Amino acid sequence: MRRFAITVLTGLGLAATAAQAAPFKCPATGGDLVFGQEANINTLDQMTSSTISTRNIAMNIYESLMTRDENNHPILELAASMTEAPDHLTYTFKLRPNIHFHNGKAMTSADVVASFDRYNKVGNQRSTLDNVKGWDAPDPMTFVIHMKVAQPTFIEALSSFSVPIVIIPAEDRDVPAQQLTHPIGTGPFQLVESVPGSFVKLKRYDGYQPNTSFDNRTGFGGYKVACLDTVTFRIVTEPGARVAGLKTGELQGVEDLPTKSLPELKKDTNITVLPLNNWWIQIANPNTSFPPTDNLLVRKAIQAALDMDEIMDAASDGNYKLNVGFQFPNQPDYTDAGKETYNLHNAELAKKYLAEAGYKGEPVILLTNKDYPPMYNSALVMQQQLQAVGINAQMKVVDWPTSVQMMLNTTEGWNFHFTGWGTQPALGALATMQFMVQPNSTYKPKGGIDDPEVLAAWRGMNDLPTAEGRQAAYAKMQQLVLEKVYAIPFGSFTKVQGVRSNVGGFVPFRIPRFANVWMTH
Amino acid sequence: MGAILVRRLGSAVPIMLIVSLITFGMIHLIPGDPAIAIAGLSATAEQIANIRHDLGLDQPVLTQLWRWYANLFQGDLGRSLLLGQPVTHVMLLRLPVTLALSAYALAITLAIGLVSGIVAALKQNTWIDQAMMVFAMLGISLPNFYLGLLMIILFAVDLGWLPTGGYVALADDPLGWLATSTMPAISLALLLAGLLARITRSTMLEVLRQDYIRTARAKGLSNARVVLKHALANALIPITTVVGIIVSLLISGSVVTETLFSIPGIGQLLTQAVLNRDYPMVQGGLLITTALLVLVNILVDVCYALLDPRVRYDGV
Repeated sequence: MRRFAITVLTGLGLAATAAQAAPFKCPATGGDLVFGQEANINTLDQMTSSTISTRNIAMNIYESLMTRDENNHPILELAASMTEAPDHLTYTFKLRPNIHFHNGKAMTSADVVASFDRYNKVGNQRSTLDNVKGWDAPDPMTFVIHMKVAQPTFIEALSSFSVPIVIIPAEDRDVPAQQLTHPIGTGPFQLVESVPGSFVKLKRYDGYQPNTSFDNRTGFGGYKVACLDTVTFRIVTEPGARVAGLKTGELQGVEDLPTKSLPELKKDTNITVLPLNNWWIQIANPNTSFPPTDNLLVRKAIQAALDMDEIMDAASDGNYKLNVGFQFPNQPDYTDAGKETYNLHNAELAKKYLAEAGYKGEPVILLTNKDYPPMYNSALVMQQQLQAVGINAQMKVVDWPTSVQMMLNTTEGWNFHFTGWGTQPALGALATMQFMVQPNSTYKPKGGIDDPEVLAAWRGMNDLPTAEGRQAAYAKMQQLVLEKVYAIPFGSFTKVQGVRSNVGGFVPFRIPRFANVWMTH
Repeated sequence: MGAILVRRLGSAVPIMLIVSLITFGMIHLIPGDPAIAIAGLSATAEQIANIRHDLGLDQPVLTQLWRWYANLFQGDLGRSLLLGQPVTHVMLLRLPVTLALSAYALAITLAIGLVSGIVAALKQNTWIDQAMMVFAMLGISLPNFYLGLLMIILFAVDLGWLPTGGYVALADDPLGWLATSTMPAISLALLLAGLLARITRSTMLEVLRQDYIRTARAKGLSNARVVLKHALANALIPITTVVGIIVSLLISGSVVTETLFSIPGIGQLLTQAVLNRDYPMVQGGLLITTALLVLVNILVDVCYALLDPRVRYDGV
């Protein structure tokens, strides 16, 4: 897929070399591909949104200095090269030439400076730049980042697509958060019209310059070509309507097909069903500041009682994989450390832990919501399993914003919060394990003070000089989190997408990518 | 008539102010805030805190209330926190969609509801009456969500006559609008038509038993003249009340249909706003919707006055 490579210069730099093989060519061009999107979109201001629905569309419009490839490795996108100084305190980016924004303006380092300025002010993930002393543009094609102290994981953070530092024209530097309503990027598609609640229409950007360092699309980057004239993201929140649209051909692609419709769709020769494994981790996070889950033995009893197959089957309608921990087996960071704690469904062990804990039937409150049925269903099954071993498990069902606010702001009135982690596990171990340390500690450590062993492992993940050392620290951290039951990951979901069989080049990914996708007529 | 209009419009002002205060209080009393919706599913606490700060949601509620009224009295309903656009602008984009769909659904409701109600009353206790009322009960009982899905399967998937969803603006393409709005309008209308048919039938039956109807028949007037001029004209007053309620329901209550058919109307907009705690959108959107509903009620009052001279003279 990559016809050259990003050359890794012993941690000193990344450089794109010229491609050797013939680059991707559209087998067919033209047409309007209508894609049925599951969730409503609120904003296309990518710097200030971390929702999947925004990313679905905006990542076809914007680009960044760096992004991730198909295997989640950092790659250059708008940068032609990146050099890291020997003291690891300076990163110098040379920009790709002849890049133009959708408004026709040539992109220079002044736009990159403005984009970083805005991100630092309103970007949702602006802590990425906490350790950055400043940035400047010594010439129109060079952008330099100066660090306060060396940070081995900085490039991983910079290339994150959770809330990417997308490059926008300098004129948009001071647009307040959420108010960039007419997005102008450098990507292969540009915005035509956005009608929240109904559709977003993109069209091919004829001035797009593919990245010739690659021969094909990879991840969010690579050699991208817009084969389609237009792409229309139609908001179809009702699963039955998405299935109907795909069947009739009104929708050429859809996301999140309901499991019960799959047998019928698979028989339809006009439709290709595309499973995307490891879409998210279904998880319950304990409150370790509130009894009885402040007691490790009670948490271990709960962990021992659970049958993950039953929980995931109910949560996903049968479309799941059992998975230990916080990364997936196809990811470079994956480890099964702590597997001895997973999927035990051992009632005797659970009762033994309860007896040791002196458990007297105090309620264990499962805080969940019905906005996301997988969260509700997993809580329901967990409640039954806990009651079966004598735990007084009770459900507290509210809506999603309320459950999150309760989880964030109170350490009373709940014992487990049900959620799902999608983007962070996909970004890697570092992005995921931040949920286990302040200010994001989901297990609500007493007094807001992190478990010192977990914190030490986290620091190792961030600061150790070698990749091997950081990976070992991650394995240690996962082991600790599972042993101390600071999280109960149930398993991973499979998200099923589908396209009409005349659609080519559509490969399931974290977002539906429409570069290098074509339709035959 | 003018006096009635002035009095009704005058009473609308305090209603709007009270509604705006209640709306503000209720939406702020509900736990959760828009930062959680903006941040997305697997957002960190830090991301949520950053958004809260950027949007001014960490300021005291009284400060937010003061800002809301200060802007309101300058004609500014604020800016949607999620959409990043002025509330007035968003509402003006969405209102025509809902109003056009509501008008279409109302036309179907009136055509089916009035006709079947009148016919059922005239054919009381016959098989026609029974059939009409069974149909009306079916309309009332079937959830419009389910009815919509059934129609999608039949008319879009199996027969291919109509699109499964989406929306085309009436001004852009009238035929396209008709194609995309027919199923949503029918699914909305059948419930309300059932209601209207039952009300019309019972009202007509009551009127048809009045002495003056017997007198009219005794005078030798034709059946059509008796029904249309004497009976229907008098039955129209309670029916007008029901039609007013139906219009209000159509304007404010089409969220399920809009969601199912991907129609960008205000029902879907305001429901999403409530679910996502988009305070300015809820406050401003409900204020505009309330103004519309007040207007509908004023129109109903005007209709009363037109239909019944006693109302006209009492009102003066």
